Amino acid sequence: MNYLAVLLDAKRLSDIKGSPLEGKVTDMFGGAIKALIMEVPDEQTNKIIEGLPGARLDARFFIEEAPIAFKRALFEKIKTMKSIGKEVIDAVLADLPKIKELAAKESEALPVPDIDISEALGLQKKAA
Amino acid sequence: MELKMTTLPPPHGGALVNRIVTDPEVGKKIAAKADAVYDIKPTLYKDMPVRNVYREIMSICYGFFSPVEGSMTSAELESLLEKRRLLSGWVFPYPMLFDISEEDHKKLGVTSGDTLLLRLKGQPFAILDIEEVYEISPGEVATRTFGTPEHNPEVVKVPFDFKHPGFTIYSAFNPIILAGKYRIINEPKLRKPFDRFWYPPAKSREEFKKRGWTTVIAHQTRNVPHTGHEALLRNAAFIGDVKPCDGIVVNCIVGAKRIGDYPDEAIVEAHEMVNLAGYVSPNRHLVTLTLWDMRYGNPIESLLHGIIRQNMGISYHMFGRDHAALGPYYDMYAAQILWEKGIPSFGLDAPPYAVPQGLYMRPQNMAEFWYCPHCGEVTYSENCTHKDELQRYSGSFIRSLLAEGVFPPPVIMRREVYQVVVKWWKEFGYPFNNKRYLTEREKELEIDLAPMDIPKFK
Repeated sequence: MNYLAVLLDAKRLSDIKGSPLEGKVTDMFGGAIKALIMEVPDEQTNKIIEGLPGARLDARFFIEEAPIAFKRALFEKIKTMKSIGKEVIDAVLADLPKIKELAAKESEALPVPDIDISEALGLQKKAA
Repeated sequence: MELKMTTLPPPHGGALVNRIVTDPEVGKKIAAKADAVYDIKPTLYKDMPVRNVYREIMSICYGFFSPVEGSMTSAELESLLEKRRLLSGWVFPYPMLFDISEEDHKKLGVTSGDTLLLRLKGQPFAILDIEEVYEISPGEVATRTFGTPEHNPEVVKVPFDFKHPGFTIYSAFNPIILAGKYRIINEPKLRKPFDRFWYPPAKSREEFKKRGWTTVIAHQTRNVPHTGHEALLRNAAFIGDVKPCDGIVVNCIVGAKRIGDYPDEAIVEAHEMVNLAGYVSPNRHLVTLTLWDMRYGNPIESLLHGIIRQNMGISYHMFGRDHAALGPYYDMYAAQILWEKGIPSFGLDAPPYAVPQGLYMRPQNMAEFWYCPHCGEVTYSENCTHKDELQRYSGSFIRSLLAEGVFPPPVIMRREVYQVVVKWWKEFGYPFNNKRYLTEREKELEIDLAPMDIPKFK
């Protein structure tokens, strides 16, 4: 069996709040990072690794370095299907052509996180 | 016994090199007397810029690499590769060479005794007073620079190849070397945001004096800082004389980098944010930069780092595991081995501070900092015994967090530092270096040059 860690920030945590997924959250870095750990059978692992540039299995049997488009699509499916079972990965793999298209553009641009950076800009302005 | 350090260390070689002509009229006159003109080109590997000799010219002329004054002669190159010594006897790690293709050499027709005007971004930039023209085998220079398992068994584990950026840089050199001293004749202006981090050795020494610093420790970086880096620099700075170091100088290496590294703009500003946000007082923390295309030469690179920072007036240097390293080529503790006992096969049978004409730099070899949930803090590996619970810092893990747009928790990265990464992400459309960024940066470079009209070379 192989694994996939789906990282959860505050927004993603709030997205799954109240759902059965909440009880499946795993702590990393002493709880500072939360993740959903998915089990991925070999057949699905091969499809992911063969289908997505950069994806590989690491020494811990975690699938790493998969395109961000894949990871984002995976979380969206988890959220809507309220599951971390293998059917979620099947659903994501069904969208593989679209994900590959998005992944190809990733080397040039990635969506900028929608966060407020005024604190850092203010500190820079004050120091100037 | 005198414990207190009252002065800054002397420059390597005894005096700071300063080869900048500050008066543009004088620069113009010098340029007009040149025998030929050459437009500086980046060194390419598979069409990607991996190095630009202009950065070496800057670092040499502004004294970062004192006592080196120019492109090395064949005798100096041999001395360096054989025993890491300049002909003057001073320790130095890397070949500094001005290379051109055979075709360009034929076109220029220059020989020893000639003066070559070097143009950058279309403007006169520097002069090379040619002392010697000779040929190298770039592959041989690359191999001898970094070593081999046979010749350097103390630290080299596997032969170098083209997956190693430094080996690639030297292998991609042109075969003709023009040796001689450089002079910058058109004083450059550092572009934003690099300008505020520009502290060449003469200026950094002035700054330290102004601040009353006599004990200063250097932190080498090519990364956006996570809290593990911050713990390292804070704790390493407890060394000093009768009290911890007065100053902590973060010296960022700015130049051509690998795809996937952070952009230099984000690196310098993210380190600055550590003091702007008050995690280390700006009264004690100074962010600076050196122009250099990283060679990732672990122990060899650490020697250059020692020289750069000693020239800047710094007495202590922190060295961690895998210092300036990449891949499996060197022992992960190679830099610490050099600074603890020397590497005889590289010509240093004692640490760099204990050999004649070596360095004044005192190493601070650090093990590892990790996050321990049991201790509830970032802790030093030699203190913490909770080996089953520790969480190691991993650059690739953090990069994947960022790429996913997951806000890194404060235990890994300060929120203000992350905001700086996002600031530059907005600018470049991508959080890390990609082909487009590296190509564009190589056109813009880090400096601007004022127009200088030399009718002879129009």
